[in-house]
Amino acid sequence: MLLFSNNLIRPLAILAITALGASAQVVKSKNPLRDSPEVVTAGRSLYNKTCTGCHGKDGDEGDRAPSLNANRRYFRLSEAAIFDAVKNGIPGTAMPASGLPDLDVWRIVAFIRNIRGTTSDNIVPGDIASGMTVFTGAGGCSRCHMIRGQGGTIGPDLSSIGAQVTLQKLRDSLTQDGPIPPGYRPVNVTTLSGDVVQGIARNEDAFSIQILDEKNKLHLFDKQELRAIVYGKKSLMPHNYDKALTAIQFRDLLAMLSRQARTKVKMEQQGENEVGR
Amino acid sequence: MKITKLVCLTCCGWSLGAQVTDRQLREANSANWLHYNGSYDSRRHSPLDQINTKTVDALVPKWVFHVPGATHMESVPIVVDGVMYVTQPNEVYALDARSGRQIWEYHRIPARQKGPNRGVAVWGDKVYFTTPDAYLIALHAASGNVIWEAKLAEASDGYWSPAAPLVANGKVIAGIAPSDHGLNGFLDAYDATTGERLWRFNPIPKAGEKGSETWSGDSWKTGGGDTWLTGSYDPELNVLYWGIGNPAPDFNGDVRKGDNLYTECVVALDLDTGKMKWYFQFTPHDTMDWDAVEIPVLVDAPYQGKMRKLMAHADRNGFYYLLDRVTGQFLTGTPFVHQLNWATGLSPEGRPIRVPGIEPSLKGTKVCPAAIGAANWMSPAYNPETGLFYVVAQEGCGMANKSTEKFRPGGFQYRATGDVNLKDESWKVYVRALDLTTGKLKWESERIGSTSFGGGLLSTAGGLIFSGEVNGQFVALDTQSGKAVWHFNTGQAITAQPITYSVRGKQHVALASASDVISFGLFEPKKEEAK
Repeated sequence: MLLFSNNLIRPLAILAITALGASAQVVKSKNPLRDSPEVVTAGRSLYNKTCTGCHGKDGDEGDRAPSLNANRRYFRLSEAAIFDAVKNGIPGTAMPASGLPDLDVWRIVAFIRNIRGTTSDNIVPGDIASGMTVFTGAGGCSRCHMIRGQGGTIGPDLSSIGAQVTLQKLRDSLTQDGPIPPGYRPVNVTTLSGDVVQGIARNEDAFSIQILDEKNKLHLFDKQELRAIVYGKKSLMPHNYDKALTAIQFRDLLAMLSRQARTKVKMEQQGENEVGR
Repeated sequence: MKITKLVCLTCCGWSLGAQVTDRQLREANSANWLHYNGSYDSRRHSPLDQINTKTVDALVPKWVFHVPGATHMESVPIVVDGVMYVTQPNEVYALDARSGRQIWEYHRIPARQKGPNRGVAVWGDKVYFTTPDAYLIALHAASGNVIWEAKLAEASDGYWSPAAPLVANGKVIAGIAPSDHGLNGFLDAYDATTGERLWRFNPIPKAGEKGSETWSGDSWKTGGGDTWLTGSYDPELNVLYWGIGNPAPDFNGDVRKGDNLYTECVVALDLDTGKMKWYFQFTPHDTMDWDAVEIPVLVDAPYQGKMRKLMAHADRNGFYYLLDRVTGQFLTGTPFVHQLNWATGLSPEGRPIRVPGIEPSLKGTKVCPAAIGAANWMSPAYNPETGLFYVVAQEGCGMANKSTEKFRPGGFQYRATGDVNLKDESWKVYVRALDLTTGKLKWESERIGSTSFGGGLLSTAGGLIFSGEVNGQFVALDTQSGKAVWHFNTGQAITAQPITYSVRGKQHVALASASDVISFGLFEPKKEEAK
């Protein structure tokens, strides 16, 4: 928060925050039940019983209220802010006070925070060993992706994917077309002498291009050495795994990927200590 | 497009498999820069001569790569078939060596510790580097993916690892720092394919082991002896040559009476077993933090009429040494700085003849060289055509104190005080050319305006010595005379060693300068203008 970088402004900022807090309900700042799997599971059950009249199941979009696990900017991020919204409702909107006991509200808070966290923070059911078999076998994933030193390199290393993206994002990347990530754009170039190289453009500017092919070879060109550059319009990544795999294979693959957290870094929890606004 | 349709239809001249073989590492292909010091013998001499005394006027910057967050880079770039690998602590970057464009970057997350890093080693399809939290990591050379990680030591104890590893015959050799914390050092060998540790050499002998008699009491337990620079390797003898750091505490030897083996030594180790074949100690019972980690340079040359396998070494203690690297026999030694008051010379065995009382004291004693040394991390160079050994030499003295500081576990300094540089008119930095076999000074070139070492040296067959100064000047000196024939002001301190490489027939000279990697090449006029 930039304001806080200025010592002169800090006292004013603290006053402002205090005033904001005073205008909302007085809430505990931290979840007394913490965020163990048991608490999250209980919260999920409560959520699906209590909240799905408006919101969708498991935090998905509902008929009358938004999704709580989508890629969007949330205005309530901290435990205290979410508690406040569930406990007391949001004045001026259709969001009512839940009427639940405080501990049940905290359980729901733990669940909502969980579905917004990284995949590895979530409880993703499935057989992890079987998921690895799908990764290296039926899914064909390891031809392009590497996990802990094993696999291909033409796609991103997935050794920490569970700690890098939300479950929703991970699921989407397996099932829906999306933008091609930087450094993975398919490209086919022809040199002045007629040689053809295909791969992905790890980097490129107006004057040079750096290509990695499927055989782990780098090809570094000045563009004046090229006769033609043709870009693939779609990512090399298939996005039909929910159809190409059986339901059980897909579940297990998702579960296995969710546990890949070589670097155990939680996604930045924006808005810690933020009170509803 | 299906993956299965992706086929490289040609293996044209630009395809870069980055499969570095043992043979390539031994022969040190002139187009590449495959080792921290260019070749296993650490001569830092390249046969490339496109940039030479006649063409150097046309040497211009070709590209700059800014390393985000870097402030004082110590990394030596490694170049494999047009791909440059350069490091920042906890980070590795792969660059297109012709354009400076990034291919991939690796960031260690979380970066648990901070500390310097001097670069990578390469072998097969992997790139190896060490981290400030004392890990050795293997990355896939074409993608930057992590292949394996090996823990060298416990970072919370105070260990870290700054040196570029060395790879030989499928073994990654990695060292550790620092002995200034009273931690005993080691040198490790790891299987380059799997990351399995193969052997560990402990420079500080335990009680009862040979050499332990050179440590009084239990002082060996906090004896130091780290390995924070890269060593050399002789493939024919299958022997590693590695410099060992200072004993601890650095400045008070009262608590560790004796020669304190094998600190301040160069040790010759069998590559396959890590067993020590011989050692030579430059500064027995050092009390001035004069780590002997300076680069051992391996040369085969006539000595007194007979061809010998030699090892040349300019030590932080101010003496230049020539050893027989088969036996460890001392051949000759001579000061390469004028500011040297702690010894009057070397005995026939190479042991310093000390001047009594010239050592740290409670009140302070003037000791020359200062603790920072006459030499340090700046790699020297050797040109077989001139027979000259080129070294960055620091003239200057320090006021050295000692104290009765006790060891504390947990990574605390255990130096028992230090020295203050006496920066008078004698405090100067030079590039000096020494005759290999006598150590006699042939020429010197002062780094005017420099108040400290700066970077090391690069020798080329183009008759040039490249030298990076702490004041930011990157200079080319004539190999024969030491005369400056080209310079470029990088605008920021240089503390790393330069390299040279060639891509598609065009020679480059490159170095890290504080926050940037800069690559130079010869100016090429447009074809119309050339007519």
